[in-house]
Amino acid sequence: MSEYQEYRLEREQIDFLLERGYRITRVSESLSGAFLDFELIEGTKQEWKQLNIKTPEGRKYFSTLLFKKKLN
Amino acid sequence: MADLSIDLAGIKSPNPFWLASAPPTNSGYQVQRAFEAGWGGAVWKTLGDPILNVSSRFAAVSFNGQRVAGFNNIELITDRPLEVNLKEIYETKKRFPDHAIIASVMVEPQQEKWHEIIKRIEDVGVDGYELNFGCPHGMAERGMGAASGQVPELVEKQTYWAKEAASKPVIVKLTPNITDITVTAEAAVRGGADAISMINTINSLAGVDIHSWNTIPHVGGKGAHGGYCGPAVKPIALNMVAECARNKMINVPISGIGGISNWQDTVEFLLMGSTGVQICTAAMHHGFRIVEDLIDGLSNYLDEKGISSVMDIVGKSVPRYSDWGNLDLNYKVVARINNDVCINCNKCHIACEDTSHQCIDMLKDTSGSSFLRVREEDCVGCNLCSIVCPADGAIDMIELTNELPPMTWNERQSFLGGISSESVDFVK
Ligand SMILES: Cc1cc2nc3c(=O)[nH]c(=O)nc-3n(C[C@H](O)[C@H](O)[C@H](O)COP(=O)(O)O)c2cc1C
Ligand code: SF4
Ligand code: SF4
Repeated sequence: MSEYQEYRLEREQIDFLLERGYRITRVSESLSGAFLDFELIEGTKQEWKQLNIKTPEGRKYFSTLLFKKKLN
Repeated sequence: MADLSIDLAGIKSPNPFWLASAPPTNSGYQVQRAFEAGWGGAVWKTLGDPILNVSSRFAAVSFNGQRVAGFNNIELITDRPLEVNLKEIYETKKRFPDHAIIASVMVEPQQEKWHEIIKRIEDVGVDGYELNFGCPHGMAERGMGAASGQVPELVEKQTYWAKEAASKPVIVKLTPNITDITVTAEAAVRGGADAISMINTINSLAGVDIHSWNTIPHVGGKGAHGGYCGPAVKPIALNMVAECARNKMINVPISGIGGISNWQDTVEFLLMGSTGVQICTAAMHHGFRIVEDLIDGLSNYLDEKGISSVMDIVGKSVPRYSDWGNLDLNYKVVARINNDVCINCNKCHIACEDTSHQCIDMLKDTSGSSFLRVREEDCVGCNLCSIVCPADGAIDMIELTNELPPMTWNERQSFLGGISSESVDFVK
């Protein structure tokens, strides 16, 4: 898979969770890339997910989304 | 015609082109011929206790047909008595009162030595002084030149001592043989420097003869490190000028030196914060007459841009120079090949395939002829293909509009730091 396709996949996974109402609760960056913790609270129900974002474009993407949010 | 005259910390000259302190400014005969040719100023070959030079002093580094891509020397300061130089400075200034003559000076780091030499020079009518804290060889072994120029406290003190005795502006010439030139530049400012100049030469060994195993140059079978200058050092010098120009603590004018060979190089140094330039290697390579092209080129450039004075472009690019952390991570360029201009040499394909991101595809058209196309989505915009391409205009680097807003690394890190403690809620 080309790096671009890998990035598209990561981007789709991030968008998918956000569109379903997940929030990013934690970002930790390490030698293995970025780990994003997502949380969904629906009533009393709580769900967690984690994505490992490896591509540079993917890491630019999620941080820009967070940055945009912070600016607004 | 645009006004080319400059005023560097009160030192005026009819144009921004000065000869740097070096062999071209060794004597009155030479400096007067240089002024006749059109040079605006000259920094006299460094004055100090007359030294002894060795024979076989220079070497050039040739690269791909360019005779002097870099120039290396193991020459020291003036080898003539002070009186002889002062007499010639006096005569030259009398003949050319409107040209700038700067006395370059180097003595041991002692207050009385600085006072003594400055006082002796004061009467001959120089327009300013340049303290040579840069010579990297020979003099440095005696505690002068780069040896004292690498120690910020000594730069500050010696500048202060020179200033105590000088009635004319003092320029401090800095050595590039240091990790961060802004540290010594700040020291010079603290010592009271009216201006700074950079760069002196960079420690170097021009080469080794692979057959005789001697160094190049060698003095009867032995070599010693020299100082490197000429076109090869220009990017290093330009960065050092820019780093000083954008540093708020360094609030004095800069005289730019290092690898300046033509009017375009000059414009670059001026834009990056130099109030005028000094030139050595290009004059040694091509003679004093190059100043005609320098003046014509600069003058036409300013006229074409509708700029009335050369001083108006000084520092104009400085605000565009910053730290890496302030660059936009979302800015994007990609390579695009113009197949009508491409000569099918495949250099870009090889460069990208072997050493970049493997995104120039070799395709065949309907008639079976091969052509190249960049897969833009995989191109990181490194510029390598356009750098190696021998056909002008065959590769354009195209700016893409990004749907993502600008974000720098510093911005990213400043908010990501806080994110582990708070959750971020957002609607896309
Ligand atoms: C042969 C030679 C002798 C030099 N002697 C001196 C000197 O006496 N004092 C000084 O301040 N710089 C000296 N320099 C350095 C030049 O003034 C200048 O800083 C350096 O060559 C960079 O400019 P360029 O790339 O235009 O040559 C010398 C350079 C060369 C090549
Ligand atoms: S800019 Fe770099 S990554 Fe893009 S095609 Fe050229 S060499 Fe490859
Ligand atoms: S390097 Fe330039 S000329 Fe050569 S194949 Fe690539 S685009 Fe064409």
